[in-house]
Amino acid sequence: MAEEVKEVKPKKRMTATRAAASIGPMVKEFITSTLQARAEGRQKLAYTFIVCHHEEILRAMDVIPIWTENFAGICGAKRDAERFLQRAESLGLSRSLCTYALCGIGFDQWREELGQMPPDAPWGGQARPDFMISSGQIICDPRSKWYQASQQFMPDVPIYNIDLPYPLFQRDQDHRDVWDYYHKYIVKQLRGLVAFLEEQTGKKMDYDRLRELVDLSDRTWNLIDETYKLRRAVPCPMGTGDAMNTMVPINFMMATEKAYDFFVDLKKELEEKIARGEGEVENERYRLMWGGGLPAWYALNDFNYFNSKGASFPVETTYRMVAPLNEMDIPETRDPIEHLAWRWLGYWTFWYDKAKKRPGSEPDVERLINWIEEYKIDGVVMHEAFSCRSWHVGLIWQLHQLAKIYKPIPIYVMGKDGKREKVYRELPSLILESDIIDITSYSEVDTRNKIDAFIETLESIRANRAA
Amino acid sequence: MGYVLGIDIGSAYSKGIALGDQGTVDSSVCPSGGDLKLTAERVKEELSFRNGISAHDIMRTVATGYGARSVIFADEVRSDVACHAKGVSSLLPTVKTVIDVGDLYTKVLRIDRNGGVHNFLLSGKCAGGSGRILQVIARVLRVKVEEIGEMSLKSKKRVDFNTGCAVFSESEAISRISEGVTKEDLLAGLHRALAAQINSLVERIGVEPDVAMVGGGARDLGLVKALEEIRGHAILVPAEPHLTAALGAAIIGREQLKKKIES
Ligand code: SF4
Repeated sequence: MAEEVKEVKPKKRMTATRAAASIGPMVKEFITSTLQARAEGRQKLAYTFIVCHHEEILRAMDVIPIWTENFAGICGAKRDAERFLQRAESLGLSRSLCTYALCGIGFDQWREELGQMPPDAPWGGQARPDFMISSGQIICDPRSKWYQASQQFMPDVPIYNIDLPYPLFQRDQDHRDVWDYYHKYIVKQLRGLVAFLEEQTGKKMDYDRLRELVDLSDRTWNLIDETYKLRRAVPCPMGTGDAMNTMVPINFMMATEKAYDFFVDLKKELEEKIARGEGEVENERYRLMWGGGLPAWYALNDFNYFNSKGASFPVETTYRMVAPLNEMDIPETRDPIEHLAWRWLGYWTFWYDKAKKRPGSEPDVERLINWIEEYKIDGVVMHEAFSCRSWHVGLIWQLHQLAKIYKPIPIYVMGKDGKREKVYRELPSLILESDIIDITSYSEVDTRNKIDAFIETLESIRANRAA
Repeated sequence: MGYVLGIDIGSAYSKGIALGDQGTVDSSVCPSGGDLKLTAERVKEELSFRNGISAHDIMRTVATGYGARSVIFADEVRSDVACHAKGVSSLLPTVKTVIDVGDLYTKVLRIDRNGGVHNFLLSGKCAGGSGRILQVIARVLRVKVEEIGEMSLKSKKRVDFNTGCAVFSESEAISRISEGVTKEDLLAGLHRALAAQINSLVERIGVEPDVAMVGGGARDLGLVKALEEIRGHAILVPAEPHLTAALGAAIIGREQLKKKIES
């Protein structure tokens, strides 16, 4: 077995909001609560993935979700993923696979081999599940393969797979022409999940409770949308660095009062900051969009580095896994399962109509363009994490399309004759390259050199910008 | 106004430019070695000694490059992206796209005639696609790195080089030589493979003519020609392409000094 060494602890990232600072203890608490639940054995525990619109079903059945991506992210953020990655590698799995999956598989194998948690497991470790719910989703194959690999070490733990497709964007076709078919299929998938959970828990689904939880999530979705839109303010009261914390209630705590209350508090805090004219950075010079890519969890301090240069991030496409329900064109239904399926389709097709109206646009590019305008963005930063194809394929293409179809920035340069001349430039962009949790792919010096050069680029445009 | 120094501490070589009132006075190049602070001092001393520049004649020093922070006597550190842009625009004002082939990275910059950077892209973290591969192969073939450009142009039958990886290229070169492939054909194949990698980076950011190549890699005529062949247009190369970042640093320093005096 490879040598298992722990890495150097990172410095704590400074947050701009109280709400973001409260997330660490919150995550720790729910990791600890899964361990406690395991010990008590009263509730069933399920390994599962985020963004599957099934939290309400799990919670209505009193099943505790163990978000395996979250635990891998914690290992990464604590710079303690390498020993689990090495373990997975020594089992014959390649480092070029999803490193969340590798970390989880390495951890599971170790825990199962020992019959207890691996030594110094981050925050007590990841509890053994009673079952695993995987989800086939467009191009993320780890979502169906990861648990199959883990099952080799836990052959007694069953897997249930839900398949959640959505119609892909086609300029010449209205997605509504086909979405009834998709809806029927997804409803069947979710009802299958309910049946599986009923069998595993020995309980019947309480549909009134499910309806209440779905209502709660819907209210939370709208509240998150309203809260995040406050970040349009200049100066911006909260940046992407903090949003990488506040993604926790969005992605791991949906369908809980706690998540709703969290955003009530955050909204209030942002409103107060805006009233005081308080920004994420003291003298905001540049407003950037995190235009794609999961973050390097071990290097969140890079957001502070951007901040130290006067750059704030009012908006990010990553982890904003909600859209305003009142702007979604989805049919009304009182059946909570049917509603979950419609919400799923409404979320993924949210930008389709707008994208069709702009020649050359596509939903992801359309979202970039809309947010560049709404949040008054000066430049786009993306992170290409080598091990996750699902989120990262097409990022460069999006930037290309953006440069092609979005209005350029007018700037002045000194012409040949010594006179000022107006020329046009595309919105500057920066691509950072490393990984979500594999720290060996990251170089702080290189990353910061790139950031420095990008800031100089922004400054050059700012200094020469024509009205 | 005295002298301004531009010092570019690269991962393989360190370069310095002394800029006087009438333009460049002198330049200096030496291997970076392990002690970057000492190397920076050495570059400064060489420029000073050769040109009789005393310490108080040096009005400003701007450092750049991988080891810029080791230039402890610098007044300012600027990114090599900004310095290349400034240096190239002063030498070739029509250039809008700059390809810098350095030892560690290849960078592509979109610039304006004033040396403002509008966008840039760096090659990935590994040395594939950077100039490092040229040094590796020169060592394997026991030829000087300065000679490989001319040699590759004499190729009669370019081999297809399968890898863009700096490490694998070494073993591939050895096995090709043992198969009887000539050094010239091997180098032509290597240049083609490297140029293809650079071109994909160039395509990612998009090209606006004129295009220039700078950095140590631009001294390799074989590489420049290979990229011209792939892209189908001429690529401009300044007389001393490895010095553009140091030159740009010095020009930035001079502009700052001028502003200070005027204000
Ligand atoms: S491939 Fe990407 S989306 Fe899929 S599990 Fe891994 S990190 Fe998540």
